Amino acid sequence: MEQSGTSTRLQAAVQDLASGVVSALRGGGHPHVVPPGADGEAGDLALAAVRVLGADALLPGVLLGTPPDPAEVAVFRKAVEAYPPRADAAPTVRWSHWGMARVLRRLDPSFLPGPSGEPDTGWLDGAGWQYLTHQLAVLAPLALPAEECAVGALAARRPVDVARGFVRAVRRRDWRQAAGAGRWLTLLPGVPDTVGLEAGLDFVELMGGQDPLVALQVQAARTAGTGATV
Amino acid sequence: MRSEQTTEELTGVKGVDIEAALDPVEADGVYRDSRQCAALALNSGSTSLLLSPPTPRPKKG
Repeated sequence: MEQSGTSTRLQAAVQDLASGVVSALRGGGHPHVVPPGADGEAGDLALAAVRVLGADALLPGVLLGTPPDPAEVAVFRKAVEAYPPRADAAPTVRWSHWGMARVLRRLDPSFLPGPSGEPDTGWLDGAGWQYLTHQLAVLAPLALPAEECAVGALAARRPVDVARGFVRAVRRRDWRQAAGAGRWLTLLPGVPDTVGLEAGLDFVELMGGQDPLVALQVQAARTAGTGATV
Repeated sequence: MRSEQTTEELTGVKGVDIEAALDPVEADGVYRDSRQCAALALNSGSTSLLLSPPTPRPKKG
């Protein structure tokens, strides 16, 4: 599918941001992933990229427990406030925004958004395992240890379906979906051992790890799997 | 909102671009056959995930 120049630039900015997150998660000496204080076009593009990457933009601090950089939190907050979901936005857009607000509420006590209630999960009621896995992979930033939400509760009721979706994604060579599903599986109870999750994540990284969005999810899964929590 | 318009004018990034990125359609799948999967699994060390045969697909035409 042909993409607009804007879409291409946005995706490139998101990938740059994701690379910084991966580096920070790996302890690569790049602890600040959100560009603080960037002005003008570059700053606005970076802001949009933060909104697209969602709560994962601050994932190193969340998973590793490092103190947040106030400048980074300010940029993150600006992204949350600049791009609220429209009333008719897709569920993944609303949940992504909710996930960002959840992180922000903890890091910035002065952030008082309007309604803090969760969006509903009705669009996943009775969803087939393929669609469920795709949507969960899109919402992988919600997959955090010791953090509960309705999407996570729904995923926890269907570990075998998510495992099937993971294997399907691997075999379709949809590395982003596989990595996102794998991240959820590291947190779900009742995942069959036969899925070969650890080896599967290795394989996903081997095949798709040059994509920073894939590498981010794999690294998040591994970090969460080691028991790092907030 | 004026600030929003300015952001869009400067970057060309519209809310619809962001929402599209946050609500992507599923990518087209590209299946490998069993021999390719086996070779890839061997290349990746201890991975044994992809050694089962591929899911049957409907024939074209």
